[in-house]
Amino acid sequence: MFLAWQEIKKNKLRFTLITGILMLVSYLVFFLSGLATGLANLNREAVDKWNATAIILTEESDKSLYQSFMSIDQLNDIKADETAVIGQLNVIASNGDSKQNISLFGINREEFLMPDVTEGRDFKKANEVIADDSLKEEGFKLGDELSLSSSDQLLKIVGFTDQARFNAAPVLYTNLATFHQVKFGDAAKQNKDQINGIVVQNDSLSNLTQNDELTSIEIETFIQNLPGYTEQKLTLNFMIYFLFGISSIIVAIFLYVLTVQKISMFGVMKAQGISSYYLSWSVVAQTFILASIGTALGFAFALVSGAFLPAAVPVSFDVTVMVLYGFILMAVATAGAFFSVLTIVRIDPLKAIGG
Amino acid sequence: MAVLELHQVKKSFGSGHKKVEALKETDFLANRGELIAIIGPSGSGKSTFLTIVGGLLSPTSGDVIINGENLTTLNEKARSQIRLREIGFVLQASNLIPFLSVANQLKLLDKVKKGNMSKVERNQLYEDLGIADLLMKYPSDLSGGERQRVAIAKALYSNPSIILADEPTASLDSDRAYEVMELLKKVTKQKKTTTIVVTHDIRLVDYCDKVYKMTDGVLSTALENHTRVQHMAYEGKI
Ligand SMILES: Nc1ncnc2c1ncn2[C@@H]1O[C@H](COP(=O)(O)OP(=O)(O)O)[C@@H](O)[C@H]1O
Ligand SMILES: [Mg+2]
Repeated sequence: MFLAWQEIKKNKLRFTLITGILMLVSYLVFFLSGLATGLANLNREAVDKWNATAIILTEESDKSLYQSFMSIDQLNDIKADETAVIGQLNVIASNGDSKQNISLFGINREEFLMPDVTEGRDFKKANEVIADDSLKEEGFKLGDELSLSSSDQLLKIVGFTDQARFNAAPVLYTNLATFHQVKFGDAAKQNKDQINGIVVQNDSLSNLTQNDELTSIEIETFIQNLPGYTEQKLTLNFMIYFLFGISSIIVAIFLYVLTVQKISMFGVMKAQGISSYYLSWSVVAQTFILASIGTALGFAFALVSGAFLPAAVPVSFDVTVMVLYGFILMAVATAGAFFSVLTIVRIDPLKAIGG
Repeated sequence: MAVLELHQVKKSFGSGHKKVEALKETDFLANRGELIAIIGPSGSGKSTFLTIVGGLLSPTSGDVIINGENLTTLNEKARSQIRLREIGFVLQASNLIPFLSVANQLKLLDKVKKGNMSKVERNQLYEDLGIADLLMKYPSDLSGGERQRVAIAKALYSNPSIILADEPTASLDSDRAYEVMELLKKVTKQKKTTTIVVTHDIRLVDYCDKVYKMTDGVLSTALENHTRVQHMAYEGKI
């Protein structure tokens, strides 16, 4: 540690550069992980809000809520502590000024899918809706009358709730009757029992239904199957893993160059009887110091810049994940010292004496 | 008892027709408080001799005994321990660690040798070698002579019984070279070390008690070094 630290102090520029590079790489890792969490939330937060165990969809739906059509009567086929029916529809809503892709949830007020209202009030009458509060940033307000792309119904925002986006679209919650009006128009009466799925809260996942036409899907699995969700997550994670590799390689190259420059010096020290172990340790300790400083700066930098980002950028920092990634970064960067250690062990002290 | 003994030590490199007998069968003895010079032209085997003595190179055959311990029977780890404890190396100028101040050069040794020099002893060493004023400086701030003084201080740190110097004056001008030899002589007498200086600079033998000549891997018998006249004669032979 002594040797490592003295060298850093003496060669500040050199080590500031490598720490700076590590800082940028770790910043990128943290930022991408924030983006991954943010984008994931965009897709799943309305589902997380359910606090549910599973969702029952039709076997044919291929785990897609949108593709699943069933009758409210099928509640009889389900054994669970709590159940809640849901109808779901994607529409474009406009308040006259701005247009927005939204996800319409038709639910029963007294069931657990009913969100907490953070502003305004519950929907009571037909055509009243509670909206996700991200819509406020798009210019939507309490009392707005919304016209819809696929229906001549007008919906009225009577309340807002927070953290309610589903598959990247803000959610409008309304009652089933309004939902049927929007979805079926004149045919609403004939289809008044039609829903897309049944969400359940239950201790156990098994035996939720005996009906062969229905299938129960664990909530996490359901989320993984939201369109684009897994693909997006894999892409971002791939980038993050790639950065781990890059940081390891950068450190490896940098340290290797430094070590090669110091071969004769190491040789002299070895001739004096200083062990390879001590010298190797010193390089590893040095790398660890640099990696820790770089990662810590990247971490701080990511949090600070996250605070200044416009709300439209879907970045959300999950500190647990960040700390984990931070440790991984420190570990892979330190692993980059491996080649240098190998070089040091191989140095022949004889060479230092010079023939 | 002799501090250092070599019995029928031989070293050859390579094999077949490429084989080089860098050191032919050699017997050698050195006692405490002796300053010994080994002179000879480049390629004659001086460094080979010195690195074998220092336990850095294993001889092809023969025994190297330091304070009664036979180096050739020990593994690299044990030899490294002996180097640390018994042997101080003084090399050419590249000897110092560029990013350590003079004080820290010595502190590093203190760390790896687990500090067996007291503060008083250390300050005395700085005084003796005239480096007390250089402690905060870095090698790049030192002159060649100052650097070698620090290198000698490093070699002396923790009181080794043997000091091995390979061309310690190669990078110095004459005056500085004499200073360094003066210093080596002083510490040899004061600390009763066995000091072996390898050089191809004939003028330096003035300071030494014994002079050996190396020619094509053969070490001559010792020439007691009494008078300058003897050297002149000796010089004539080279
Ligand atoms: N590692 C080695 N491999 C092969 N030959 C060597 C090696 N080291 C030294 N030699 C040869 O041994 C001889 C003596 O070398 P050396 O002891 O370095 O001489 P000096 O120090 O007197 O200049 C030279 O011919 C040199 O080429
Ligand atoms: Mg030589």
